[in-house]
Amino acid sequence: MAGVDRDSRHAEFEAEALVHLDDLYGLALRLTGGDEPRAEDLVQTTCLRAYERWSQYEVGTNCRAWLMTILRSTFINEYHARRSRPTPVDYDEVGEWSVFEGRSPEDPEARFFENVVDERIVAAIDALPDEFRLPLVLSDLQGLKYREIAESLGVPVGTVKSRLFRARRQLQRALYDYAREAGIIS
Amino acid sequence: MMWTWLRRLRSDPETPDMITCQEALARVYEYLDGELGPEWTEKVRRHIETCRRCWPRFELERAFIDHIREQGLPSVRAEGLKERVQALLDEADSA
Repeated sequence: MAGVDRDSRHAEFEAEALVHLDDLYGLALRLTGGDEPRAEDLVQTTCLRAYERWSQYEVGTNCRAWLMTILRSTFINEYHARRSRPTPVDYDEVGEWSVFEGRSPEDPEARFFENVVDERIVAAIDALPDEFRLPLVLSDLQGLKYREIAESLGVPVGTVKSRLFRARRQLQRALYDYAREAGIIS
Repeated sequence: MMWTWLRRLRSDPETPDMITCQEALARVYEYLDGELGPEWTEKVRRHIETCRRCWPRFELERAFIDHIREQGLPSVRAEGLKERVQALLDEADSA
């Protein structure tokens, strides 16, 4: 009997959860800044945890969101454990100047970023330092509120605001520089 | 746009409370992220509705964030990952 239960649990998990593996890996890559072995470990730990807690999951509800939450918290715990002291971030590198200064939304050159897609965007996000990348990933790719990000990362809300500000500016700058090099803008 | 602005100047008794461009731009992300309280959201909204300088900036910043949201999280297949996860589950079953 126990064997049958186990088989059905396994089959259910495969059908409901493992179909989201590629999405989980995508998120794991962004959180780890493109570190493939670490991202794979993160997905494996997440799946194992989810499997152990499978009885808590209500079949038919949003399994993908449930798995993403487990993956985020697994990553954050690990992030706090490995990080004995914060990596110094050079705040001066990111100036106040915006690439959108004085531009019109109708100007195609101002919308340069729309011609920068896929792996270029991903590479630019992954290249951000942890301190900037994590608030950006949690906010823009996971839809978390500032308060939730602050709680996750163990920093004040004001710090989330300023890091997110700098993360977006740095990303704009990186994509702008790329667009110029690639001849997308003059 | 100029006409709207003039009309607002005349008809809105609260115009002297209008915030400056600097105050609006300092809150661009909080505004776009829905993180400003109701009072500031209203102040910023009123400012960008009538400001020729700030409205384009807010539009571009919004478009940029939307683009990152759309492009930043592709689903990625890792070779053999599914098999490795399945092996882990088998191990958990037999434990």
